[in-house]
Amino acid sequence: MSQALGGLRSWLLQRATAVYLAGFAVYVAVALAATPPPDLAAWRAWVLAPPRAIATALFFIALLAHAWVGVRDVALDYVRPAELRLTVLAVVALALLAQGLWVARILLVTGP
Amino acid sequence: MGTTTESRPLGRRRPRFLNLTQIRLPVGALASLSHRASGVLLVLATPLALFLLDRSLHDPDAARELWGAVAGSPWRLLLVLPVWALAYHLLAGLRFLALDLGRGESLPAARASAKVVLLGGLAAALATGAALL
Repeated sequence: MSQALGGLRSWLLQRATAVYLAGFAVYVAVALAATPPPDLAAWRAWVLAPPRAIATALFFIALLAHAWVGVRDVALDYVRPAELRLTVLAVVALALLAQGLWVARILLVTGP
Repeated sequence: MGTTTESRPLGRRRPRFLNLTQIRLPVGALASLSHRASGVLLVLATPLALFLLDRSLHDPDAARELWGAVAGSPWRLLLVLPVWALAYHLLAGLRFLALDLGRGESLPAARASAKVVLLGGLAAALATGAALL
């Protein structure tokens, strides 16, 4: 995985995801501040409307990729023992994948 | 992966100087390491954000219940940490994107923008802290 994301590609991925994360975060903050959903039904309708749910899913995919590249860079710089570094990266990778599944459940399983 | 100081080809030992009170950290370095620190904080806070999103979509009283759980405790002031991390990481990230595009690369401009984003993050933290008091 470090090969697939090494060097220029991870540099570019970090910046491309950064642009989407910043843009979407500012959009959500401004939209919610302008017209706060009055109740649960309005909030659910706002979040789960298909175009916005897809944009939100993309946001979290970008977030998890961005987090992975960032944590990997930090771990490579500061976690010196190789075994510990591998352990940290494995734990982080599992945690990020689990959160990806959690996001999918939040956005797709729309039960009450 | 795998560049280590131990296997430095010249074998020269680099000086170690870790007296933190005497190391003068340039403001650009402070901006950079704060960006990393805030990023790590945000990764740690992401599960909390997902939990809040999940709850908010299923429980009309989620906000009131969750706030009620922390409102009486002094620990609520810890909420300034994720707010600082988010505000600072966004501001400093935009600064790095601008630098990548070749904007503001001169030393005076880079130092000035580093101060601006550091102060912006602190301002967000202070405003949140004041609101929580």
